[in-house]
Amino acid sequence: MKVTLAMKPAAKWFIPIEAESIVPKNFLSGTDLRVWRGNRELRLDEVFSVSVEGDADRAEDVEVVLSGDTFRLKRVGEYLDAGKITVLGGIGMHCGNFMSGGTIEIHGNADGWLGREMAGGTIVCRGDAADYCASGYRGGRKGMKGGTVEVFGRAGDFLAESLAGGTVIVHGDAGDMTGAEMRGGTLVVHGDCSRPAANMKDGSCYVYGTARGMIPTFKKIGTVQHDGRTLIRFSGDLANRGKGNLFVKGYEYLD
Amino acid sequence: MTELLVKNACVIDPLRGINGETMDIAIRDGKIVEEVSDAAEVIDARGMLTLPGGVDSHTHICGTKVNFGRYMSPEDMRAGRTPRRGAMHATSGYSVPTTYGNSYRYSVMGYTTLLEGAMAPLEARHTHEEFTYTPLQDTMANTLFDGNWAILEAIRDGDVKRVAAIIAWTLKAVKGFGVKLTNPGGTEAWQWGKNVSCIRDPVPYFEVTPAEIIRSIVEANELLHLPHSVHLHCNNLGTPGNYSCTLGSFGLIPDLNEKRQTLYATHVQFHAYGGSEWKDFCSKSEPIARFVDMRPQIVMDMGQVMFGRTTTMTADGPMEFNLYRLHHEKWSNHDVELETGSGIIPVIYRRKNLVNSIMWAIGLELALLTKSPWQCLLSTDNPNGAPFVKYPEIIGLLMSKRYRDAEFATVHPDTESRVPLPAIERELDWHEIAVMTRAGAARALGIQDLGKGHLAPGADADVAIYPLKIDEVDPSAEYQKVIDAFSRTEYTIKRGRVVARRGECLVHGSNATLWVAPKVSDGYDMGKDPDFIEKFDRYYTVRMSNYPVQEEYVTRNRRIETEAEL
Repeated sequence: MKVTLAMKPAAKWFIPIEAESIVPKNFLSGTDLRVWRGNRELRLDEVFSVSVEGDADRAEDVEVVLSGDTFRLKRVGEYLDAGKITVLGGIGMHCGNFMSGGTIEIHGNADGWLGREMAGGTIVCRGDAADYCASGYRGGRKGMKGGTVEVFGRAGDFLAESLAGGTVIVHGDAGDMTGAEMRGGTLVVHGDCSRPAANMKDGSCYVYGTARGMIPTFKKIGTVQHDGRTLIRFSGDLANRGKGNLFVKGYEYLD
Repeated sequence: MTELLVKNACVIDPLRGINGETMDIAIRDGKIVEEVSDAAEVIDARGMLTLPGGVDSHTHICGTKVNFGRYMSPEDMRAGRTPRRGAMHATSGYSVPTTYGNSYRYSVMGYTTLLEGAMAPLEARHTHEEFTYTPLQDTMANTLFDGNWAILEAIRDGDVKRVAAIIAWTLKAVKGFGVKLTNPGGTEAWQWGKNVSCIRDPVPYFEVTPAEIIRSIVEANELLHLPHSVHLHCNNLGTPGNYSCTLGSFGLIPDLNEKRQTLYATHVQFHAYGGSEWKDFCSKSEPIARFVDMRPQIVMDMGQVMFGRTTTMTADGPMEFNLYRLHHEKWSNHDVELETGSGIIPVIYRRKNLVNSIMWAIGLELALLTKSPWQCLLSTDNPNGAPFVKYPEIIGLLMSKRYRDAEFATVHPDTESRVPLPAIERELDWHEIAVMTRAGAARALGIQDLGKGHLAPGADADVAIYPLKIDEVDPSAEYQKVIDAFSRTEYTIKRGRVVARRGECLVHGSNATLWVAPKVSDGYDMGKDPDFIEKFDRYYTVRMSNYPVQEEYVTRNRRIETEAEL
C-alpha cells in the first residue's frame, strides 16, 4: 500500500504541525487520522491531499510518501516499528523519535532531533541534519540504543549525544560536541568536527577529517589502519573514567 | 456555616483510643464537632476504614533543594504527566514532581499535613512560596541549624541560653516550625572540604563536637518549649558500620519532655548499617530497635528504600559527595553561607544490587522490630528512599508476611545471610498502621493539641476514608487490596471539605502553614544583640532587616506562640 500525503498550501504555513499520527501502521485502518496545528486539531485531509494506492494488512507493506512543504511537520514516524516513510522534501523536528524498526528516507534536510532515542530501524537523510541528530534527550542517561542513521550532508551540533548503541554515519562535516557523552555504539564522521566524544564512557567514534578543539583528556595510543585510512587512536574520556575509542585522521587542540 | 456528617464510618483514632468503632463524624466549619443539624450534607461511609488525615512527619516536597532536583533531572518530568482536569492543574514528574503533583498525589492517598524535612533559613522564602502551591495539605518546615556559625560559637562558649535565643530569633524570622540537625557539624566541616566521622570529631575552626552540638541544641529546644523535639539526621549517613555512631548519638539524649519524645531521629534505615566496608555490609536494625525500645525519649522514622528510580537530596553535603564518587553520575553541591549546605544526586535502587536489597530490608525490620509503633513512623524520607507514592506498598509489606516473602524472593540472593528480615513473623495491624501514618506522627510533631492526627471534637476536620472494610479483608493474604485502598481514598476531607474523591482532586484548596514564634525576654532578643547584629552584617550577603520572611509569603498562617524559659 502506498499512501501519498501532499501538503496543501496553508495561509499560516509557519505554524508547526504535530504529526505523530503519521506512522505506517495507522494507515492500515484508513486515513481518518488527526494532527494538531497550534492549538487546533485537524483532520489529515485538511492538511494534506491524501491518496491511497493498493491495500495491505501488515505495516511492513505500507509506504507513506510525504511531499510539499513539510519542513514544519514535527514528530513524523514517532514510535515507528515497521513500514517505510519517504519524505521528498525536508522534514521538521523530532522525526523518527523512539523508532524501533522500519525505514525513514528523507530526500531534503532534516530539522533538529532526527531519530532521537531510536532503538532500531534505519533513517537515511540525503540532505543535512540539524542539531541533536541521533541523540538522547534532556537529562536522559541513554540516547540512541540501536538502528542506523545515515546522513549524506552535514550534521549540526551534539550529533549522537549520549549514543548508547547502533550506528551513526555522517558523510559531511559535523558540528560542535559531536558524540558527547557517548556510552556505546559507533559514530562515523567523514568530514571535520569539533570537540568529538567529550566525556565518552564507551563506544567508538571515527573522524575521517580533522577533530578541532580536541579534548585534552584523551590518551593517545598510536596509529591504526581502518577502512584503508591511517587513523590516530585515542582512548578516553579519562575525565569520566571512560574506556571509549576515538579515532581521528587529524586533530588540533585548542590554543 | 457549612456542615458535613460522615455516617457509618469504621473509625480508628489511636490518639483517642478508638479502634475500629462504627460511628458518625460531625463537621462544622472545618472542625470536628459533637453533632450537626439535620441540614448537614451527608456522606455515607458504609463501614469503610476511616482515619484522621495522614501526617507525614518527614518529607522533602518544597524548597530550593527540591527545586534543584527538578532542574537537574528534566528526564524526571517525562514521567507522571497528567493533563489539566477540572480543578486540577497539569502535573508532571515522578521523584521530584511539580508542587501540584505532590499535593494531589498526597491528597489522593489521604494525607492532609506535611512536614518539609529541611529548610535552609536563608532560603526560606522559596519553601514558603512552594507551600502556597501545595494547596491540599497544611505544611510545616523544619529549619536547619546544624552548621549555624552563631550557634556553634555559643556552644563553644557553653552558653545554651544563647543557643536557644538564636534558634528563637531564627525560627520567628523564617517562619519555621522545628529544629533540624543534618549531620551536625559535618556540613560545616564540608565547607572546609572535610567531614566528621562520628560524634566525637571536632568541627574545624569552631572546635565543638557533634555530641556537644546535639546535646546543647536538645537542651535549647526544651528551653523554648517548642512543639516538636529536635529532628536529627545522624552523622555518618550511609556508611557501613554507622549503627554504632547512631547508637552513640541516641545515648546522648536525656528524657526531658513528658508530652513527647526528646529526639526525633529521621530516616534511621540509612543509619543502621553494620560491617566495615561494602563487602561485609549488613543490617544492624536489631540493636537499633532494642535501644529505641528502652528509651521512650526517642522516636524515629523508617526512611524505607523501595526499588526504582528516585532522587536523593539532603543538607548533608559530604555524604552526597561520597555518593557521587560511588555512582559517578549527576551531582549538585550547594553552600548556604553561615548556615548549612546541601547535595543532590539522582539514583536507582536495584533488586539485583546486594547493598540496595539490604537497605530495603533494614527499613522494614526497623518498623517490625520496634515494639511500639509510636516510636517508629512510616516514611521513605521522600524522595530519598523512594517517592511517597510507594507508601501503600510499604503498608502492604508491613501487614503481610506473605507479601514480604514474595518480594524477598526477588532481591539479591545473598541478602538472606545479611539481614534478619526473613525470620520476622510480625504483621502490623490496622491500628498500628494508623499510628505510624498519622497519630504517631502528629504526637511526635507536637501538633495533636492543634487538632491534628485525631478526630476529637475541636480537631481540624481532616479525614481520610479508604474504600476498604477491615473486617472483610485479611491484609496478610489480600495485601493487594490493602495497597489499592491506601493508594486511593474514597474521600479525603480537608478542613471540612471533600478535597479528593476516588483519585480526583475536587477543589483548588488553600494551605495553612504552621510556624512557631517562641516568646523570649528582651535580654534574649537576638534582634537587639550587638554582637549578633555585627556578625550578621559582616558575614551574610543580606542585610539583617531583609532576612525575615514577610507575612505575605505565608498565606494562611497559624502562628504558634511558646513561652520560652529565657
